[in-house]
This record gives sequence, structure tokens and C-alpha cells, in this order.
Amino acid sequence: MPSEVMTRLDPKSHAAAKGMSDLSIRNLFIVPTIVFLIVFNIFPLLYSLGYSFTDFRASTNAPANFVGLQNYRELLNDPFIWKNFSITAKYVLISVTGQVIVGFGLAMLLNRSIPAKGLITTLLLLPMMLSMAVVGLFWKLLYDPNFGIINYFLGLGKFEWLADPDMALYAIAIVDIWMWAPFVMLLSLAGLSAVPKHLYEAAEIDRAGSFYTFFRITLPLVAPILMIAIIFRTMEAFKTFDLAYVLSSQPNTELIAIRLYKMAFQEWQTGMSSAFAYIVLIMVVAITNIYVKYLNKVKAR
Amino acid sequence: MAQIEMKNVQKFFGQNQVLKDLHLTIENGEFVVMLGQSGGGKTTALRAIAGLETVTSGKILIDGKEVQDRKAADRDIAFVFQSFSLYPHMTVRENIAFPLRAVRMDAAERNRAVNETAETLQIAQHLDRKPSALSGGDMQRVAIGRALVRRPQALLMDEPLGVLDSKLREQMRAELKRLHIARGSTSVYVTHDQIEAMSLADRMVILHDGVLQQVGAPDEIYLKPSNLFVAKFVGSPVMNVVDVQIDGTRVALKGVETDFSFGEGMLAGLSKPGAGIALGLRPEAILLSHEKTKGYSEAVTTNIEPLGSHDIVDVRLGEAILRVRTASGFVGGEGQTVWVGLDTAQAHFFDNQTELNLRGAA
Repeated sequence: MPSEVMTRLDPKSHAAAKGMSDLSIRNLFIVPTIVFLIVFNIFPLLYSLGYSFTDFRASTNAPANFVGLQNYRELLNDPFIWKNFSITAKYVLISVTGQVIVGFGLAMLLNRSIPAKGLITTLLLLPMMLSMAVVGLFWKLLYDPNFGIINYFLGLGKFEWLADPDMALYAIAIVDIWMWAPFVMLLSLAGLSAVPKHLYEAAEIDRAGSFYTFFRITLPLVAPILMIAIIFRTMEAFKTFDLAYVLSSQPNTELIAIRLYKMAFQEWQTGMSSAFAYIVLIMVVAITNIYVKYLNKVKAR
Repeated sequence: MAQIEMKNVQKFFGQNQVLKDLHLTIENGEFVVMLGQSGGGKTTALRAIAGLETVTSGKILIDGKEVQDRKAADRDIAFVFQSFSLYPHMTVRENIAFPLRAVRMDAAERNRAVNETAETLQIAQHLDRKPSALSGGDMQRVAIGRALVRRPQALLMDEPLGVLDSKLREQMRAELKRLHIARGSTSVYVTHDQIEAMSLADRMVILHDGVLQQVGAPDEIYLKPSNLFVAKFVGSPVMNVVDVQIDGTRVALKGVETDFSFGEGMLAGLSKPGAGIALGLRPEAILLSHEKTKGYSEAVTTNIEPLGSHDIVDVRLGEAILRVRTASGFVGGEGQTVWVGLDTAQAHFFDNQTELNLRGAA
């Protein structure tokens, strides 16, 4: 017998009195969501796929001409676009690595009985809850070469964090780490507290030192959930726009999302930017898949 | 191999004292079983020896060296957990090798030790599997293997068979005993299962409410329980305990005329006015007869548990219900009249106030 998935409608309910069946109630809840999804997500996705093969410009009335794969060919041959990609890759690497180290470290510190643990955890989570644009703006003030508090405390004088071509990307990554390390911390904390305490006792009995225990017991057992945090953060970092846009306008900090924004809404190359967006989408899906493959391998153990 | 000593060990969890002035010496090569109810302090005592728990005061000595302030890793003791505590992400081989890798033993020697241990425990065919793919018994073998592979000073086991089903438990019990005899390692074993305790132990330690009740060989504990708790806790079915009045050589039960004949001097010094005395009788110390016999009293059977090899018969004698062990089928059914006698040599008398055995335990 197939198991009952839906709860049966109570025959005495209002809904039943109005002659609605279980099925019509289900549809009432699901259909709006699906319609919304199709209109605002699926349709633009497919429509832009069509645009990506044309020379359409949303700023003119000129009809769109089909140009085949020309947009893709041009984009993939453009050394400036590759520069954007390499900047983004560097940014993702620095930012995600930083978040994992800081976040996991904080989780390790919190994964023990300390006074006011709940309060400390909540405070540490605050950055994550702020708006990106707000975070960008106040870090801009913190970094300010004239009155910024960072230079004041580090004694760096007039060092221009966000204008320095070598430093700007790191400066943005630091803000991202500050903002999102708590997210990694939260997931790591969940993973750490799921490691049974008796395994640590067994390791202690087995004479394992603290480093050995960490690398052979703690890390492998937290790896799956840490991996999920890394997937989320990589995807997000890859798409970063607002932070970098607000903080700096250096060519050295032009991430793909910023390039894409400029191409689509400042240069109005709608067809070209659609193609660009698709290239980015394929890349994100590919990178995510690598992680998911690894995650499944870890989970299989 | 090592001798383990506990001296004046006290342990508090907050206000709650779980170990009260514990003194215990475990000899080299001995198999000692700590028996008690849950919450009796036996696991805490074991964890204190292992170093997984600190003691509030007192000394713990291993081979004469004080270790109470040392970490578990520095005591060279192996521990088998009730939940096995196998590392779930490692294969059986990696699990067993873990204690050796942790101290960086070289690979060749390590492999030899792992294989040898696996052979002994008959888990060689599982070496490349994950613990989750094993049966409960094999998981337990792996846990024991991980404990034994480094040839520890002593092997501590915390209800290692607790989660296994009864048949497997019996089999593993025999294996543990065989292993102990082969290895001769000092072993301390915690359980609440008295059969497990009696079958494994060289000596048993009975703990109740953090207080050591009695230490002795299994038969000694069974035949000469030092107090009411031990008497009731060890043995199945439970020892019958009835309040009695002692007057000279006569023992009187409430609500019935009895004529139990105790030998001359057996009751000497037992007549105590006031507090009262309890008579303790194991089910096999009570004798039943179908005919009226001298020294026997009339009673009615109320319940029969046929167990195959023997029966447990409940008889009502005055106000008391006594559980009696008889040959299978000795009593036909409930409501029959039988005659109850005592094996006076197996009778125990306890002071109701102090709960101590008045004959004096061993």
C-alpha cells in the first residue's frame, strides 16, 4: 500500500464546506509560487539565452540580428574578460580560504563550555545580518586614508587601502571575510558539536596528541558540513558585486559581476552581456559540481 | 601488566558525591569486575582509573606510581567503551592501527601488530571494511582489538557487551575470558549484569551509592554476602528476605507457626531485641516436600515459573512469599499444599538496622 503523503482534509472544515478537495487546496498553495518562478526566473533565463545569440541592445529600437556564436567567440577571445576572470578567481580563493580559517577557528573556540557562549555566538553572527552595501560603506570609512580608524591603529599613516592596486583586492576580501566568516563558523559549529564526545575520549586513550586528533578525527568528521559551507561561499564570492562596487573602482578589483553590470547597463550591450552571463553561469555550475562530487565522496565514508 | 591501586578516592559532581572513600587493589593479571546498579559509581570509578575523569581527592596508583594527576594518554591504559567508539570514517585496519600511528610506530611493525591482533580476534577478513558495515559483535571485536593492539598496562572495559543481544553476549563473554587467559592482562570490567560478572571475574567488586560493599571471588560473594544489598543484588532469582524473631534456638516468621530446626549454637548471639533481624534465604536454600516432614511447615504454592532445567515456585508461608528453586515439574500447579523446610547451613541473618550480615562476611 502506498503511504499517505497528504493529510486528508477534515470533512468538517471550512474548506470542505466550500466544496474544495485536497487537491485544489494543494494547488492553491503551490501554483502561485510556480507561476512566480516561471515569470521571474525561468522565462528571463531562457529569453536571455536567445538574446545571447543576437546583437540586441536594450537602449535602441534597432531590431536584434541573429549573430550565432559570435558573442561567445568575442568574449572568450577578449584578454580583458580573462583579466576579470583571473581577478575573480584570486578574490574567491583569498576570500573563501580566509573565511574557512577564521570561521572554523572561531567555531573551535566556541565548541567548549565558556561563559556567555550564546551571547558571544550571537554577537559574532551580527556582520552576516547586515546589508552588503552598508558593510561596504562603513568599511570604506574604516579604510579611509585620512581619518580611517584602521590606519590610525596600525600606524600606517596615509596608506590607501582601496586605491592601492596591489592591496585593493585584499582589502575587499578582508571585508568579505569579516562579513561571512560567521556563516562558516555557524555551520562548523553544528558539525563540531555533532562529533560524539566519546570519540575524543577514545582518541585520548589511544594516546593521540591534540594535532593528531584534530587532523585525523575532528576534521574528517566535520568535512562534509564544512564542504557545504565552502560551496555556498564559493558561489557567493564568485558572484560578488555590491561589496566590490561600493568599496573600490580600481581596474584591479573589477570582478566579473562588475564587468557584467557595466556591459549590460552602462554600455547596453544586451546580447553580448547575456552571453557573458551564460558563461559565468556555466562556470559556477561546473565549480559547484566539483565540490558536490567531493562532498558525495566524503559522505560515502 | 600492572597492579592498580585506589586509595581514599572521592569524587564529587557538584554537590553529588559519586565515589565515597574508595579503597581497592587490583593485582597484576587479575580480572576484576565492578558490579552495581546504574548510578552506583562503578563507571565513574573505571573512568577515574583511565584518566577520563578527575578525582576530587585520593590517590590512584598504577604499578606504585601515582597517576591521578596524569592525563589518560600518559597512563598507558586501554579502554573499551560501551558504545564501542570506533572511528566511523576509518576502516577496521585504520581503527586498530590508530593507537600505534598516534605514537608513530613504524609501518612494518604496525602492520604486523594489527594483523596479529585481527587474527586473534577473528576479524582479519573485515580489515578493509568500515565499522558501519560490521555486526555488533564484530564492532566489539574491533574495539577490543584497538585496545589490545598496543599491549597496554591494563585493559578497562565499560559494559562492553551492554548493547549486544543476549546470545552474542554469551559468546563474547566466553571469548573475553579466553582472551584474558591467553594475554594475562590486568583487566577491570564494569557491568550491571551479575551473570556476566560472575562468569568473568577472578574477583568481584560490588559498588552501591559510591560505597564499596564487598570485594571477593564470585562464589564468596554469592555464599557470604556481607550485607543485605549484596545479598539481594547478586543471585537470580533474588534472595528471599523475611523479617524474623529469634528466641533461643527458635526462628519465628510473622503470621505462621514454624518449626525450623537450627543446630545448636547456630543462632548464638543473634537474638537482638528491638531493631529486628531479617532472614535471607536463596531459592535453593529452601526445600519443598510433598509429605509432612519434621521441621517443615505447611505452605501453599502461588505461582510456578517452569524454566526447563528447573522451576521457580512461589510459596506463601504466613505473610511472606518465598521463591523456591525445585526440580522441573516438582510442583504440579498453583494452590497446592507443600511442606517447606530450610537448609540451615545456607541461611543468612541480617541486622535490619545496619543491614550487615550477622554471621560476618568473609
